[in-house]
Amino acid sequence: MRTYELMFVVDPRVPDEDVVTMTQEYKNMITAGGSQIAGEENWGRRKLAYPINKLNEGKYVLLYIASDNGKTALPEVEHRMRQNDKILRYLTVRTDEDLKRAARRQPAAGAGSPAAPAGAAEEREAPAPETAHQEEEA
Amino acid sequence: MARARKVFFRRRKVCKFCADKIDYIDYKDVKLLQQFIPERSKILPRRISGTCANHQRPLQQAIKRARHLALIPFTTD
Repeated sequence: MRTYELMFVVDPRVPDEDVVTMTQEYKNMITAGGSQIAGEENWGRRKLAYPINKLNEGKYVLLYIASDNGKTALPEVEHRMRQNDKILRYLTVRTDEDLKRAARRQPAAGAGSPAAPAGAAEEREAPAPETAHQEEEA
Repeated sequence: MARARKVFFRRRKVCKFCADKIDYIDYKDVKLLQQFIPERSKILPRRISGTCANHQRPLQQAIKRARHLALIPFTTD
């Protein structure tokens, strides 16, 4: 069982509806490739830390992906993203190994109790371990 | 925490991630990462921050990922 996170930054001039359809397209590709979408986050418009293609903002979309048999359509998805000039940046990260290692180091605490002082950080960190649990049940 | 050394006091450096029990350093957690990138946006060395080697490595990885996605600057001009 593998879990991935796929984050990409879309040109802010693309309207929100198009971002949704675009995301849906990629999600369809991923599900067609034999993986599940374990979660989705839309961060919306966000200021970039540095200008990309002379743009100062970007729309962030984050997908959590779970794959049982290790087969994914991610290489194709990445290929498509590379060719799509509306996508400024993308990043795929495999997360299951690191999360498992973190859980092992802290068996009692597990998912819910990062004692991080930053409030926003906790919110964002929460979905990842949850997805791990979901696929365990599945 | 503060331990007396000769006459003056020097705060003993503790790895933040060990102290706070953060085992998975998330590249999306900008607030956390920002504590380790000072003004020039360089990665704060272990010798300054006191982060242990086991945590500095994933931290470095997380910062580099965040930079790629323009969550964190490469440099400040």
